[in-house]
Amino acid sequence: MLTRLIKYELKATGRVLLPLYAVLLVFAAISKLIFAFSDNSYSVPAVISTMIYIMILIGMFVMTFVVMIQRFYKNLLSDEGYLMFTLPTMTWKHITSKLLVSTIWNIGSSLAAILSIVILAFDEIFFTGLLPKFFRLLGEFFNSFGLNSGLIILEFILAGIICMASGMLIIYASIALGHLFNQHRVLASLGAFLALSTVSQILFFCVTSLPGLDSLSEYVDSLDNLQASAFMFHWVMWFIIIFFGLLSAGYFFITNYILNKRLNLE
Amino acid sequence: MTPVLECNGLTKAFGRKKALSDVSLKIDHGQIVGLLGPNGSGKTTLIKLANALLTPSAGEIRIAGMTPGLSTKKIISYLPERNYLNDWMRVQDIIGLFSDFYEDFKPEKAYDMLKRLNISANDRLKTLSKGTKEKVQLVLVMSREAELYLLDEPIGGVDPAARDYILETIISNYNPEATVIISTHLISDIERVLDYVVFINEGRVVLSSSVEDIREQGKSVDGLFREVFRC
Repeated sequence: MLTRLIKYELKATGRVLLPLYAVLLVFAAISKLIFAFSDNSYSVPAVISTMIYIMILIGMFVMTFVVMIQRFYKNLLSDEGYLMFTLPTMTWKHITSKLLVSTIWNIGSSLAAILSIVILAFDEIFFTGLLPKFFRLLGEFFNSFGLNSGLIILEFILAGIICMASGMLIIYASIALGHLFNQHRVLASLGAFLALSTVSQILFFCVTSLPGLDSLSEYVDSLDNLQASAFMFHWVMWFIIIFFGLLSAGYFFITNYILNKRLNLE
Repeated sequence: MTPVLECNGLTKAFGRKKALSDVSLKIDHGQIVGLLGPNGSGKTTLIKLANALLTPSAGEIRIAGMTPGLSTKKIISYLPERNYLNDWMRVQDIIGLFSDFYEDFKPEKAYDMLKRLNISANDRLKTLSKGTKEKVQLVLVMSREAELYLLDEPIGGVDPAARDYILETIISNYNPEATVIISTHLISDIERVLDYVVFINEGRVVLSSSVEDIREQGKSVDGLFREVFRC
């Protein structure tokens, strides 16, 4: 059932976001052409096309965010929830499918943004030696960290995904908490968001100020020694992964509990 | 045999307002039941509780002996009183969705009914009129082979000709073991198909009786309803 939910979630969101990606890339290409044909980068067409490109870029990220919230709120807690919550499937699968698909689109939007920048800066990247420089830097990175380098990249990706997930789950949990109220549910959700983020920050502060866990300052102290700094880096990364992983699990639990045991569709 | 729907002291309050108070009820397999009452009497609340879309404030509700959850969702076919269709889909997409999720859904039955009602499977749901959307939802719900059909105001928004076809579909489409619960205040239209009626007012069950018994007293359901709910 989870794969089927994901299939429908991808369909419902892809039809909004994929055309936006296409528009962004096409416009990056158009801007690139205008730049190629204008004498200086401050000509009127160049400035206008740059502005439009930036507006589309911002619009794409805003839409990714709006679609994430709208798919959770509208599809589950408005009239469409009458269909979704009577499907014979578990509540956690609804939450998981929405979370996974939103993660995919977050990554997708970032990739589309990077690709559009590559199109715009095509000459600079491929004809001015920027690319070899980048690979040289990457080579140096692998040389100096050796076996660790693969692990470091993995930790980066994992930490990035988990922080993204916790950012989405805190919103899901806030909407679910707002749903507990009979009236003013949107306002209650905003209040719940403030409360949850405050609690999370206090937790973060408490955990990081535990004796022996004061790792960030030690990390800064150790920066002149490469081997020691690599060790501390792993420490910090795994701390972030585990802390935000647990936080995400908490938000997920709150959301699932409310939608499962305290559902009251209007 | 376990009743297909059973409530014991079922209460649902929204804030201070009680939508249902202390409802106890037993509905058996194999009948068409009218859940009748004026607007705001608690019909929709009762049906939503049966579908786990609402959580009871007190008491319990059981579907074929089970509390509402995954296994009851498999055997209930529910028509809500509102439009739950995703506007961006086409009629055939929503039929695909039902086939994907419900094992007892029969797509060929759905296409057949759509044809009878002159609805094209290729139409976008967004472009359909309110009444046509209601028809599509009813087609989806009646194309399942469920144990319990919960139809909340199924004939309210459609034209009289379609109303007749829909009632005919409801009677002919379900298997004799299944129970159909129809909530409505348009009693005269459905009186002829009912086996059993439950009158509900201000969140309480005021009468629960077989139609046969009512007729034996020389009354019609419609007449009795007007008598009980005289303003």
